[in-house]
Amino acid sequence: MSAPGADADALDGVSPTDGGDTNRNRPGEPPTGNSLLGDVRVNFARWNRKALRNPTAFFLEIVAGVFSLVLFATVFGDVSEVALGRVGYGNVAYLTYLLPAVLMQATIGSAFTSGVGLVGDLESGMFEKVLVTPMSWTAVVAGKSLSELTRIVMQLLAVLGLGVAMGATIETGIAGIVGILVVCLLVGLLFMSVANILGILTRDEEALNAATMLFMFPLLFLSPAFIPLSSDLELVAILNPITYGVEAVRALVLGEDTLSVIEVTQFGGLYDTLVPAVAILLALDLLFGALSVRMVSRVSSTAAE
Amino acid sequence: MTDGPTDDGIGDRAPASDGQDAVAAETLALTYPDGTEAVRDVSLSIPRGESFGFLGPNGAGKTTTIKLLSTLLEPTAGTVRVNGFDVSEQPTAVRATVGYMAQEVAVDGELTARENLRFACDAYGVPVGDRAERIDDLLDLVDLADVADTPAERFSGGMKKRLDAATALVHDPQLVFLDEPTTGLDPKARNRLWEYVQRINDRGTTVFLTTQYLAEADELCDRLAVIRDGRIVERGSPRALKRRVGGEVLEVTFEGDSSVHRAAEIARGTDAIASAGSVEIDDGALRIVTERARATAPDLLVALREQGIDVTGIDVRAPSLEDVFFAIADEETAGLANAPDGEDDR
Repeated sequence: MSAPGADADALDGVSPTDGGDTNRNRPGEPPTGNSLLGDVRVNFARWNRKALRNPTAFFLEIVAGVFSLVLFATVFGDVSEVALGRVGYGNVAYLTYLLPAVLMQATIGSAFTSGVGLVGDLESGMFEKVLVTPMSWTAVVAGKSLSELTRIVMQLLAVLGLGVAMGATIETGIAGIVGILVVCLLVGLLFMSVANILGILTRDEEALNAATMLFMFPLLFLSPAFIPLSSDLELVAILNPITYGVEAVRALVLGEDTLSVIEVTQFGGLYDTLVPAVAILLALDLLFGALSVRMVSRVSSTAAE
Repeated sequence: MTDGPTDDGIGDRAPASDGQDAVAAETLALTYPDGTEAVRDVSLSIPRGESFGFLGPNGAGKTTTIKLLSTLLEPTAGTVRVNGFDVSEQPTAVRATVGYMAQEVAVDGELTARENLRFACDAYGVPVGDRAERIDDLLDLVDLADVADTPAERFSGGMKKRLDAATALVHDPQLVFLDEPTTGLDPKARNRLWEYVQRINDRGTTVFLTTQYLAEADELCDRLAVIRDGRIVERGSPRALKRRVGGEVLEVTFEGDSSVHRAAEIARGTDAIASAGSVEIDDGALRIVTERARATAPDLLVALREQGIDVTGIDVRAPSLEDVFFAIADEETAGLANAPDGEDDR
């Protein structure tokens, strides 16, 4: 072994790639590492690559969405249209009414994989390994989240495309589709935060997968996702974040004010739904996002145990 | 292994910190909120290029110390400079100049060996032009070139460990922390990893490793610190630590365990041992440390024979680091270890 203080450069012959001292930092000049955006890109690429390595989950989300669309439209189609007529949606095809629900379902299902990814990293030690790199923690979280949001957008577009191909109509056109995606991503961020919190609490992939179902269907059924809610359930629906996601997407699909649980009139038309719903979703995103970031950083600072 | 300039002498001291040390820690402590003192009053000064070993039993505070030095934990007291940067003030600079391999293997199983290395290159900002060559170089170093494009989840434990070690080196760090690098490896894999650690150190990288394997510390380290209950209880070169034991070790084994206590009495009654040696019973065998082990052995054998005790084996050997633990334990029993810590803890 080399004597203490031996100049590392004298040994460069051993490993030719180290020549030129391109990366070995010298004391006194703090190394800079990547830019923040560079770090985001690095993590974005890692999670994309992992997703590509295991594409089954990705396609299953799409299949599940389409499956729900077909299943609910077939089974409940005729009955539901009667119900729709009763609350003033007589001219709306059930498939069109159903589309926001299925988009929400795909969003929630996909968002929960964020927690699965975190649990995987905690278990494999990659979480700590990333912590000791000079990468900015914000960039690490942002890169992972961006990769997950990208996947959600792709799944949503696939479900949306199939829905339209089956006969659903979107009244607000391309701008409306962009709006629908934005609303879904707000819901996605909320459930990604929830999934990360649950991931840290349980540290168990199986538990997290079970929690996905536990959250998804009760929340969907206790919102006006599949059928207009009876007035008994409106009290529950008002506390259900999915209600606002579904109603905002539905407002964009139908091009009109659809919000039933609270009365807003000052913005006009579909904005009477969109503005309050988006505001509520944003507030929830901030709340749960902050909570999950806090919990993740607490894990990172007590990595010793 | 070339011994460092501070190798000799029992009161082995590292040179005073001059800002050029790879690690300069002063009175480092970590106390958990529940009051557990994981690390207390640890001071270290590790010159660049050294291979330094942190030796201690499970739960002694080895991992906690490594995490304090590599920015994963904030000390509750004391200061640390790593590669000249303050760990609390300039953590990013510290992270950019050190490599870290955790005790538990940490690789992304879904990615191939090459992709794991590529991600590490990206994470540490290795210049783009250097990446491909450096990845190939490291794959060669850890003998994974043949399986470079296989997902890491299909690797054996030893292969994962080697990949883990390689990813800690992508940025050619000045200092690499290896937390029990060979724990859980079979002997063959362990020997190979030893080779890589030596190669890394030969390339000029300072190595800081923790280990419970005494043979490992002896094999790999220029200098050692022995840690127990969060405190450094001993330090020096492996050679100096062995000298500390105070002679050679005479081990005598018996048929059955019943004879050993009687044999210990007889040994203690032997003049040469009684005057300048220590007698312990270790796992059914008699373990005698004395400077005149070779001269004592025949006398002891004769004495045992006369008392009708059958000896099945006798061995005179140089002291191992395990014997260092015994020596420290002996001193503690004798109350010597209660001497103020600051004195020999630097």
